[in-house]
Amino acid sequence: MLKMQDVSKVYRTDLIETHALRNFSLEVKSGQFVSVSGPSGSGKTTFLNVAGLLETFDTGIYHLDGQDVSRLSDDARSRMRNEKIGFIFQSFNLIPDLDIYDNVDVPLRYRRMKAAERNQRISKALELVGLGSRTKHMPSQLSGGQQQRVAIARAIAGDPALILADEPTGNLDSLMARQVMDLLEQINEMGTTIVLVTHDPELARRAQRNIHVVDGVVIDSAPYERRMAVDERAAGNSMPG
Amino acid sequence: MLSYYLRLASKSFRRTPGLTALMVCAIALGIGACIVTLTVYHAMAGNPIWWKNNVLYAVTMDSWDPARPFDPDNPSLAPDQLTYRDATYLMTSSIPKHKAIMTQLLGMLNGAPGQTAPIPVMTRATTGDFFPMFDVPFEYGGGWDAAADRGPEPVIVLSRAENEKLFGGSDSVGRTILWNGRQFRIVGVLGDWQPVPRFYDVVNNPFASPEDAYIPFSWGPTLQELPAGPSSGWGSTPVNNYQQFVNAEDVWIEMWVELPTAASRARMLAFMNSYWAAQRRNGRFQRPLNNHLTNVGDWLKVNHVVSNDNSILLRLAFAFLAVCLINTVGILLAKFLRRSGITGLLRALGASRSQVFYQHLVEVAVVATLGAAVGLLMGIIGLKAVQHLYSAASALDAGSTNYPALTHFDPIGIGWALALAAVSTVAAGLYPAWTIGRLPPSRYLKSQ
Amino acid sequence: MTLNLRPLLSSLLRSRTGAILVALQITIALAVMVNAVWIVSQRIADIEQPTGIDDDDTFVVAIAGLGRQFDLSSALNQDITYLHGLPGIVGATATESVPLTGDGQGTELFLQPGQRGRRVDVGELQTDTQGLQTLGVSLISGRNFRPDEIQPFSKADLEQSVPEIIVTQATANALFRGANALGKVVYDGAGRPMTIIGITHDFMGPVGLGYPKYQTALYPQIPGAYGAYFLLVRTQPGRLDALMQTAEQHLARSNLNRVLFFAHPLRFYHRRMIAENRNMAIFLSTITAMILAVTCLGIFGLATYNVSTRTKQIGTRRAVGARKRDIIAYFMVENAFILSAGVVAGCALALALGYWLSVRYDLPRLDLYYLVGGVFFLWIVGELAAWQPARRAASVPPSVATRTV
Repeated sequence: MLKMQDVSKVYRTDLIETHALRNFSLEVKSGQFVSVSGPSGSGKTTFLNVAGLLETFDTGIYHLDGQDVSRLSDDARSRMRNEKIGFIFQSFNLIPDLDIYDNVDVPLRYRRMKAAERNQRISKALELVGLGSRTKHMPSQLSGGQQQRVAIARAIAGDPALILADEPTGNLDSLMARQVMDLLEQINEMGTTIVLVTHDPELARRAQRNIHVVDGVVIDSAPYERRMAVDERAAGNSMPG
Repeated sequence: MLSYYLRLASKSFRRTPGLTALMVCAIALGIGACIVTLTVYHAMAGNPIWWKNNVLYAVTMDSWDPARPFDPDNPSLAPDQLTYRDATYLMTSSIPKHKAIMTQLLGMLNGAPGQTAPIPVMTRATTGDFFPMFDVPFEYGGGWDAAADRGPEPVIVLSRAENEKLFGGSDSVGRTILWNGRQFRIVGVLGDWQPVPRFYDVVNNPFASPEDAYIPFSWGPTLQELPAGPSSGWGSTPVNNYQQFVNAEDVWIEMWVELPTAASRARMLAFMNSYWAAQRRNGRFQRPLNNHLTNVGDWLKVNHVVSNDNSILLRLAFAFLAVCLINTVGILLAKFLRRSGITGLLRALGASRSQVFYQHLVEVAVVATLGAAVGLLMGIIGLKAVQHLYSAASALDAGSTNYPALTHFDPIGIGWALALAAVSTVAAGLYPAWTIGRLPPSRYLKSQ
Repeated sequence: MTLNLRPLLSSLLRSRTGAILVALQITIALAVMVNAVWIVSQRIADIEQPTGIDDDDTFVVAIAGLGRQFDLSSALNQDITYLHGLPGIVGATATESVPLTGDGQGTELFLQPGQRGRRVDVGELQTDTQGLQTLGVSLISGRNFRPDEIQPFSKADLEQSVPEIIVTQATANALFRGANALGKVVYDGAGRPMTIIGITHDFMGPVGLGYPKYQTALYPQIPGAYGAYFLLVRTQPGRLDALMQTAEQHLARSNLNRVLFFAHPLRFYHRRMIAENRNMAIFLSTITAMILAVTCLGIFGLATYNVSTRTKQIGTRRAVGARKRDIIAYFMVENAFILSAGVVAGCALALALGYWLSVRYDLPRLDLYYLVGGVFFLWIVGELAAWQPARRAASVPPSVATRTV
């Protein structure tokens, strides 16, 4: 599903050169539920941006769902994001002026779908996340957990092949966090590949596989428990990029 | 606290210099436009003798043709001038405190030292009361008395500009000069006198300068000089010579009286009406009774001295100011709301609603002041442009419009415009300042 | 390019204030602009009215006698003879009324004696056989004056009558409503008859004396009543400045019993005549342009503000698949909604304003073509004002969505 080989991304300003990703290699097979963790400044967010085609990368190869995305045009990338990827953000990123229904509708509109089909998909998605009865509510009228569930509905309404979640429970209390994670597992069981970026070890553990990133490089990709010792050793050597 | 708010305001401006410049410019443009149109309007519509508005009156009687009115567009108006017969009769009344009849004559002045050729001069032929009645200032000497009117004595008063031209501005009282070939003695030189509009004479260009020479009215008939201004007549009697002209139903004389009390006004009107009745019995004044005493303000209005164009432009300028102010409200609102995170923080740290309100109001006041200052500058530039525009088409011959005097800096007009600007801008800023104070702080402390 | 109208509209309605303020500016701007341009077009039409005479090549000299001894007739004859002798002069005549100056006489013509019948006000120009040639006016029908028909000035008869006059087509139409006026008789205020011997193309007389501009009549008279006269002189094209100077210098000195007031080209008077209309057109245009500029700035400002406060939303939309042009379209359409609201209200206000202006100031009613044109123009300009902010919105990177600051 997601195959990165020796991907590098450098941020250059007048003063500093930051190597956010260095020879980053990763393979996620279709249907897997993978977590990506690491200390702050490790490049997790950059990885997410690159993986989600939100940013370009400098060197390396990246295949998404079998397609080489290295040299796609901006319009083509937008199209891929629309059809293949579903995003879930830490701060929900719902559009405050639109109601629930219209929020879930946004990506479907960009796909130029007919009204009947859109309506069906939106209803189905909202039902799945348990908010089918609140379509006319505004985001400000919902709790954090409910807002994140709307965001999930938005992410799945278009039947994406891959879901990228960026600290989805970062702004939620533990009860809501558990609900969201349950939902994600449910979605994964239905066949969608999920890549979850987080620094919370509880969450990282719930994935089938964990990829640990430090200083823009994949250190290890194995179940989480064996991570601790490696981290302490790595922390001693690592320097801010 | 005020200086602290001022400091906050200046920081805020420096953070968004483009937006601030935009606001100030928009306000300044609106204010500039208003200053120009208000000044011109005020100059044209203003009453240059406003302190005597309730005692000076133009005298009119409707001696016109019974078959049709004097002015078909305004059929209820009497002619703006009187016939010789009516004017001289009305002058016999002792009711007014001051009274004067007048017309315009074209004269040729000669005989001043160093003068090589005669020069034409617009002359006002009037009676001596003209000067005290209109509070005309004298630089040297004075006017003449009723005896000189009766003579008529060959006395003449020059304007300051004419005296400047002929005698280099020195005291020429007592010297003689030739007017249309006849010797006249200079008895006075006027001071700086530029009433705008020239209210006492609306039949000639009301925005022309006052005349450059003044002689007793009777010289006109004595020398059989036809009036230089417009004269209109009706009737089928022939007018082949001056004597017939003077006896005909031709109107060519304007008359003003000073009536300080309501009682004297009533008596004057009664006097006019009884004369009217007597003449009517002899076959004149066949139109319905239409005798009037009109004060200066009304006289200017009735004679359409302020053109429609000025009125339209004034309203247009206000519409423009409105657009500029709405623009400002929008920008201020956007600016304040965009900063609402910081404002929320201030509230969280203990600022009360009214303190937030005052802080932002101070910012509005600074913008208003800057806008007014730049607007004043723009207004001055605009007035200079107007001056240039008008002077390009003027000053061709005697009696043409004296527009440079129009745009002479009128502190009252400009003062009003600035006050208007400041008040309206602050009013425009009230809503945004109040809105920002009202928002609950918590809403804006959370990230978007 | 997807338009997503309904959600966009509902989003717009929820944060209304900025939009309402801009729409209000647009409303006022449209109403003002349409009416102002309408008034300006009328003023321009007025300014462009042809004078009907050759005012580019004609100048006027004002002469007045000194004292009672001045022999006006002989002086006048001398002047005319001199002028005719100057090479480059096409025509010269003496008159008391000068076209375009507002200086002269107006009088009335009646269809019947005794001031009865239809009455027509005309501007009166006294002239001799050279009048038509000097003015550059041609006859439609009839003939010019004959030398024996020109009345010399007579001191005994200030308001002397003339047996023949030449009138403009406009005067003829006013008198006879389309019937042939040639050869017909009209009467002056004293009941004396005058035959119309010639009808000319329309031209302006002294103007400004309260009669319709093109109603002019030529009287075969030599001036003299006021001890003064005007010389109207027409030159060959391009020779006016030199010849005027020559003539002025000569005439000022050739007769010591009189004085030359001034010599001016007629086009100065024409400029003075159109000055008020010209100035009004300039003022109106200037203020209208400024209102438009401020309104566009308002539109630009609102669009910029909307973009800058919605960067998160823009990033999110891009993240879920919006292309750059979808973002541009979003802001342009949002702007279009605001514009349309303002324009609709502006149309109503423009019509109301037009009606009020026509009643209060006695102006002609607003021509609807101007309203339509104004709507199109403002719409296009208003959309252009939002273009740059929309483009800036499109350049917001999708990675903004994942930022947490």
